[in-house]
Amino acid sequence: MATHVESLDNGLKVILRPIPDTKALSTWVVYHIGSRNEVPGMTGSTHWVEHMLFKGGGKLGKGDIDKLISRLGGKMNAFTDTDYTMYFETIPASAMDTALMIESERMRNAAFDPKEVEAERTVVLSEREGAENQPEFAVEEELWGLAFHVHPYHWTAIGYKQDLATLDREPLYRHYLRFYAPNNASVILVGGFDPAVAMQHVREAFAPLRPEAPPDPMRLVEPEQRGERRSDIVRPGPADLLSAGWHIPAAGHEDTPALIVLSTVLGGWRGLVPFAAGDWRPRSNRLYRALVDSKLATDVGVRQEIKVDPSLVIVNVTLAEGASLDHVEEVLDREVERLKEGIPAKSELDRAKQQVRAWARYEQDGVTFQGILLSVSEGLGAWDFGESLLAKAERVRGEQVRDVARRYLVDAHRTLVRFHAQEAAA
Amino acid sequence: MNLPDRTVLGNGAVLVSSALPSNPFVAFRGSVPAGVAAEGDDHGVAEFTARLLLSGTRRMSAAKLSDRLEGIGATLEFRNGEELLSFQGRCTRDTTAETIRILVECLARPAFPAREIDRVRKELENDVRIEADDTRSRAMRELARSVFPKDHPYGRDPKGNAERIRRIRRSDIVAFHASHVGPEGLILAVTGDVDRTLIDEAIAAPLSRLEGDNVGAPRIPPPPAHKPRNVSIPMPHKTQVDVAIGAPAVPRSHDDYDALNLANLLFGRIGLYGRLGRNLRDEQGLAYYAFTSLDARTAGGMWSISAGVNPANLTKAVASIRAEMERLRQEPFTPDEVRDGRDNEVGSLIVSLERNAEVAGELHRMEYFGLGMDYLERFPDIVQGLSDGRVREVAQKYFVPSASSIAVAGPIARARVSL
Repeated sequence: MATHVESLDNGLKVILRPIPDTKALSTWVVYHIGSRNEVPGMTGSTHWVEHMLFKGGGKLGKGDIDKLISRLGGKMNAFTDTDYTMYFETIPASAMDTALMIESERMRNAAFDPKEVEAERTVVLSEREGAENQPEFAVEEELWGLAFHVHPYHWTAIGYKQDLATLDREPLYRHYLRFYAPNNASVILVGGFDPAVAMQHVREAFAPLRPEAPPDPMRLVEPEQRGERRSDIVRPGPADLLSAGWHIPAAGHEDTPALIVLSTVLGGWRGLVPFAAGDWRPRSNRLYRALVDSKLATDVGVRQEIKVDPSLVIVNVTLAEGASLDHVEEVLDREVERLKEGIPAKSELDRAKQQVRAWARYEQDGVTFQGILLSVSEGLGAWDFGESLLAKAERVRGEQVRDVARRYLVDAHRTLVRFHAQEAAA
Repeated sequence: MNLPDRTVLGNGAVLVSSALPSNPFVAFRGSVPAGVAAEGDDHGVAEFTARLLLSGTRRMSAAKLSDRLEGIGATLEFRNGEELLSFQGRCTRDTTAETIRILVECLARPAFPAREIDRVRKELENDVRIEADDTRSRAMRELARSVFPKDHPYGRDPKGNAERIRRIRRSDIVAFHASHVGPEGLILAVTGDVDRTLIDEAIAAPLSRLEGDNVGAPRIPPPPAHKPRNVSIPMPHKTQVDVAIGAPAVPRSHDDYDALNLANLLFGRIGLYGRLGRNLRDEQGLAYYAFTSLDARTAGGMWSISAGVNPANLTKAVASIRAEMERLRQEPFTPDEVRDGRDNEVGSLIVSLERNAEVAGELHRMEYFGLGMDYLERFPDIVQGLSDGRVREVAQKYFVPSASSIAVAGPIARARVSL
């Protein structure tokens, strides 16, 4: 699809993807700031800043963003990841200037009213407490905390409760001013517009904004893991859970396409960004057959965490009642060994690639999903990262799948978390 | 969007379609009237049946079925609901014929193999346990039971209970399928990269071959009278409390529906959750989420509030919800609020119909509720025709604290929380 890319003098990157035959427009702004840029004591600050950017400032009073988008029948939201933060509005294309005005004000003029910062403290705490109600969250937090000792992937984007309870307005505001600048952001427009006209409007909205000093490059590198790390969580819960994570290289590494095919053979593929997949679960993969078909588990999934820095490929299993964690672990080990020992059959490889190919289309379902895909890709380094990665996955050979299994799915680089569900007290 | 095409096939199935050429694949959503309402006293059998439709047919094992579907990159899901057994999927233009053939085969000739029945039984047992440990599921389930009492299909757990799950036999499932799954009452809505030729050859043709003498849509009795209840579910191992508040609303065909839908939008949905969200989240910081829902079905409906709060803030949050409901009488929606709501509903037509999945869902709703294929064209006039007074009137009629039930689940003592 035709995509127009240009940078303004202040460093803002502009990515325009016109879609003929649509009256909708999705406007995204992705900032290269995530929880990986936080330091201990300030965990969760990026996410908190994201919340504050719905509360007005500059030309926007409190509640104005909400009102402006609502009147248009639009939808809006924001997401904080470990690597990036992104904001979007999907509205009728005729209202492009409204979205651009909101985003340019948000970029430099957010108010951070002390009273509003305080009110939002309990909201982010509530978001975390809602997650804490789920055993899966405890497992996820434990897994990343154990797998990363040095790199900030050690904590999740929501942050630690004690930091959320004690953070003040000033460091949050400094965090905002430091990272929310045109030279640390990209604006992405997808929908019904003329690119030349859209570019002119983007220029008018964003060209006056002043750049900041570029953010420091990430200096923290996770040392090689030398030996398996394990944790057992014993807590009330409805089902035993097992989560295993192996270190994998950063998104831009040449092995990433082969790891996508490996993940698909092992656990199926639900798209680069799992929003589009909803509740759909693949069933033709090795772990589903080995664990769910055999009634040891009721759910299994493989998630390749494609990130800016070296990350994890994760297997999550929900055990069936009566199945033992030891047995499930043995089956998982056996399937991982199979991947290392043999080359997937042609039919299996073809099926995996067909899934990746089909999802590349399903993820183009409308302007909002195309905006997500371009924004996530841009957050990982380049707007066309996702599309080129999937094209590379087409060319992966069976031998490469076996080779990356041997290289990355090694016990010494594995972290394993087992959740032992206890009967809850009444 | 052009007016959708609607075709009644020779076997009674209805096919609705609309092209959305900017999205490069085909999406579909369909249903047969084989949901909870069709199972009578045989609780849980509809859910069991829906979960088994991808578990193999007389020609293909479960494994072969998933290999075939995923080998062409297609998705297919079946889901049980209060009224319908629904299905949805995605495929490319080239794989549409094959995907619809597989769909028809799953509907017409499921094998219900014993080992898959055992697998699904375990899955259901786990899901019952998982939901029993989930504060939001517990609160909402209890609220539905209160609003639709006496085992009404809208109020009971579609999965049945642990005892029922253990007792359901293959013969129950086979009999339910034979009686309720077939072309009678079937709706299939298709959108995306489609045209007349594809609809006729790849979709209508295989769908026409679906046979069966199912009984069609069951008559769903009106829900029994609601007596407001307060239910507390202590779950001391949890961190957050989920609050569910609700009351009976109206069927989709009721005269109040459109005004009530707009009132619901203003009270707890528009922007960051309307008046409710502004108070609980934005002003007081009491909750990450506090929103309302309106479920309108064939024979009845429910209006509900959901909020997740810290246990220390529970009393304050519930009092604030009550105050917002009472405010609808003292400070009814202003003309500006109602205008914003109308603008939102009309504008959202463009925004909400940009995705294949959403268009397929809307087409299905139009056919199922008999709204007419010109419904989306008429929708702006319907909304603009709602007077401020009418919207205020339905809000005051349906959003009433004393007529609502409340269920709370989480780390709370046994003391009852009242609205």
